[in-house]
Amino acid sequence: MQNEIIFAILALLTIVSSIVMISAHRPIDSALAFIVALICIAALFGLVNATFLFVVQIIIYAGAILSLILFIVMFLNIKDENLPDEKNKNWWLLGTSLIVAPFGAILIDLIVRSDIAVNMVPAEGFGGIKDVGLTLFSKWVLPFELVSILLLVALVGAVTLAKRDN
Amino acid sequence: MNTFLILLPLLLTMLYSLATVPLLVWMERRIAAFIQDRVGPNRCNIGGIRLGGIIQSVADMMKLVFKEEFLPSHIKNKFYYLIAPSIAFVSAFLTFMVIPYADNITVNGQIYYMQALPTELGVLWFLAFAGLGVYGIILGGWASHNKFAILGSMRATAQVISYEVAMGLSLVSMLITYGTIHLNEMVTYQTQSFFLIPAWGVIIQPLATIIFIVTAFAETNRAPFDAAESESEIVAGYHTEYGAMKFGLFFVAEYIAMAASGALIVTIFFGGYQLPYMTTNDLINNFETILWGVIIFAVITSILFLRWMNKNNRFEFSSNGETKIYTTLIIGFTVFTTILMAYYALGFGETHKVGVMILQFVLFTIKLFVLHFVFIWVRWTLPRFRYDQTQKLGWNILLPLSLANIFITAIVVVIGVNYGN
Repeated sequence: MQNEIIFAILALLTIVSSIVMISAHRPIDSALAFIVALICIAALFGLVNATFLFVVQIIIYAGAILSLILFIVMFLNIKDENLPDEKNKNWWLLGTSLIVAPFGAILIDLIVRSDIAVNMVPAEGFGGIKDVGLTLFSKWVLPFELVSILLLVALVGAVTLAKRDN
Repeated sequence: MNTFLILLPLLLTMLYSLATVPLLVWMERRIAAFIQDRVGPNRCNIGGIRLGGIIQSVADMMKLVFKEEFLPSHIKNKFYYLIAPSIAFVSAFLTFMVIPYADNITVNGQIYYMQALPTELGVLWFLAFAGLGVYGIILGGWASHNKFAILGSMRATAQVISYEVAMGLSLVSMLITYGTIHLNEMVTYQTQSFFLIPAWGVIIQPLATIIFIVTAFAETNRAPFDAAESESEIVAGYHTEYGAMKFGLFFVAEYIAMAASGALIVTIFFGGYQLPYMTTNDLINNFETILWGVIIFAVITSILFLRWMNKNNRFEFSSNGETKIYTTLIIGFTVFTTILMAYYALGFGETHKVGVMILQFVLFTIKLFVLHFVFIWVRWTLPRFRYDQTQKLGWNILLPLSLANIFITAIVVVIGVNYGN
């Protein structure tokens, strides 16, 4: 029961902050709402005993990436008159959510059918750093390496883009 | 007893983080004064009692608390402006939660951890919340709506992001060496010794130690890396527009962050709460001998301190003899603790585990304060780095060095595992 209440609060916070993130007018509000959403997702990971994902979510997303985004938002020094005029924003939001609704229904159906539960008793060592590491480097080593090559490509791309100006 | 043992690490966290702040402020001022050949604050007193100047920092705290809370009229984003100091404070406080203050203690078959949060994440928890602390600075600088504040907060952000990389990598080499991320197991590892040298992190991994200490200075925005609040260029940086207790929270957060990284450095590199060569079981088995050692040490240090105090403590404004009160208190305290310890040392009481726990708290505290002294010493000795020098040091020197250190460590560990005995 306790877990369900915590889950409900966290889920509500995640959804509300995600909506705020999409619909906020100023970029800084979006970024801050995004931080709240990410921390709530981290807490949800913690709730299902995925401790390693919990801490990595906070270190990488909430700690590093979002502070870079905020840094850039501050660096650009956007004034209120430079922001785009979003008169029909709410209509757009309504329309797109209607289009996405069938996919949402499929997703909900999937979640209801699957056997994940908030009160699941995890196996010994589930979600800990050792288990995640062993699984990643034995069973999923090829996808892992492919993803790291993808990241390397992005890194090289960023460096070349930055170098082109000089 | 059970509830007490569960709450004890939480209480100690409060003590080590919040309650040491006035003490740290006092240390900072007095040591700065001695380095600059001054005396420092030593006049403030309550009824003639000065405690060497600690009363001054208590008075300062009172001033900050009771000052008028005002909001500059040009602040548009009041919510962000007000929440920024709390974010800095809370995340600094949370980093302290995983530091082990003593070894696990087993009472009636149940294990009690002397960490406020005995999570298996260990050092990763510290990294996570040390990274979140920068949001307080970003938000504070941005919401202040002031050029100096935003410059300061941008400097701080760039510095924290770039030094976090080197900090994480220097920790990775320590994790490879210890083979664990649990801080308590790291401390246990450091009780070993090879060729009569204690296996402390600072001896096994001197390079990682230096890199970590330098990055810890940068992460806490302390001199020589305090370009974020350099008062000669940008007034006070990100807290220019903050007054009263809102400034106080930033101020306290900086000291707590410093205390937390000091505690982590002690735990990872300087043997934590342990004496070199001695595991907790050794301490418990030889408890009587160690107690006699502590008694001799306490008596000798209090005699030396009393002689020094009687020679040097002069305060002409005091009417009731400050030195006399101190002398009585110190003699009384020493005699009391000596009798108490002698009672156990002669083998009357059977509380070895609790005794060892208290001994470990004391050892941890002593090491922590030595490290605080180093932090303050460095701050008042080195000049501030220019901003581009800070970035160059982080990316061009510390990052390659820590990467090379990981490679060397990994090779040595693999060889040691495969071909060692």
